[in-house]
Amino acid sequence: MSDEQKISQRYRELSREEPPPRLDDAILAASRRAVQTRPAPLVVPSGRLRWYFPLAAAAVIVLAVAVTIHVERQRSDLEVAEAPASPPPPAREAQDNLYVPDPKPAPAPAPARPPASDAGELGAKRDAERLADLQKSQQAPAAPPAAPPPAASAPAPAQDAVSGMRESRRADEAAPQARMEARSAMRQQATIGAASAFAAASPEQWLQGIDDLKRQGRHDEAERELAEFRKRYPDYRIPEAILEKFEKR
Amino acid sequence: MEAPDEELMLAYGQGDAGAFETLYKRHRGPLYRFMVRALKHRSAAEELFQEVWIRVIESRSRYAPQARFTTWLYTIAHNLLVDHWRKKGLSLASLDAEDVAVESANPARRAEGREALARLLQAIEALPPAQREAFLLHEESGLTVAEIAAATGTNEEAAKSRLRYAMAKLKAVVDE
Repeated sequence: MSDEQKISQRYRELSREEPPPRLDDAILAASRRAVQTRPAPLVVPSGRLRWYFPLAAAAVIVLAVAVTIHVERQRSDLEVAEAPASPPPPAREAQDNLYVPDPKPAPAPAPARPPASDAGELGAKRDAERLADLQKSQQAPAAPPAAPPPAASAPAPAQDAVSGMRESRRADEAAPQARMEARSAMRQQATIGAASAFAAASPEQWLQGIDDLKRQGRHDEAERELAEFRKRYPDYRIPEAILEKFEKR
Repeated sequence: MEAPDEELMLAYGQGDAGAFETLYKRHRGPLYRFMVRALKHRSAAEELFQEVWIRVIESRSRYAPQARFTTWLYTIAHNLLVDHWRKKGLSLASLDAEDVAVESANPARRAEGREALARLLQAIEALPPAQREAFLLHEESGLTVAEIAAATGTNEEAAKSRLRYAMAKLKAVVDE
């Protein structure tokens, strides 16, 4: 018997410890939970459930037609009101992009144009914005936004603040479902952004980003990113040169 | 015939919870002993053992069998061990070099009841972490030298050398 075999044999005589049942239970429960949260596979219903799909499809078609008719009617009403209006000055246009005033006529300054035409313009603008938002909110669940790259992530909060203001302005106008979808899409984007600024990058780029943070002295951020990286790529071999930097702190 | 680990992991990725259970039952003992013997404190070992499986669960949809499942599993375990040692202030260089001081009055060894085995366990605990890890990977998970190298992110020569040093130290104890 070789030395190696002898050592192996001796090693096998040591107690064969096993994980305690509470660990087994916790891990197996986590494994089951993880697959239960997956979306259910798309299967063709049979038997008593056969009527689900046609009914759902009919409901979707009816809803889509109703929304289209409603939007078209509103648009034609607004076009009638807008007919005598003159095109707005560019400065006003820029202001309107940031803030949508109430439809009530403003009492204080003497308006350059008649209030009726002003209201018509604003209404048309609001309508266009509403349509754009409706389209956006309909697209949101189908294609959830990917995590933004580091360079592009900076102006996002400002844009969100502006769209947030618009959202609250239009709270009474927009359909509650569309509003909820838009908010949930924004929350989702914020969550992805908060998880890691580099999550969308390749592992190498992510590590480069972590290395850069370390060099910039942003140790806590670097540690957080490293932990996040480990979760995303648990089997990835991180170069020792990078790990050593984390030791020297 | 039993389904291979890789197939089970892919099945789990597709939502088959039973496949994970089979996989877990196959590997729970060796991985647990690997962790308990690689680390000094049982609570830390149990925490890392659990964390390895959580990472496996989280990676289910990204798993692609490029190597044996066992190698992949112990790569995750190795990465978590390295992080643990790093947090404890142990440098990567020292993992290879330093023997570890072990108290002789270890209750686990007393429970072993047999002096020779107690000495062997003590000698394993005293190995430098990298050598101890190589030895445990070899004994508990049955990894080859090439697989140990892959799991620990080193070259085959280094893995072979760690295993040889570990064996030489343990042989001296077994021969006593």
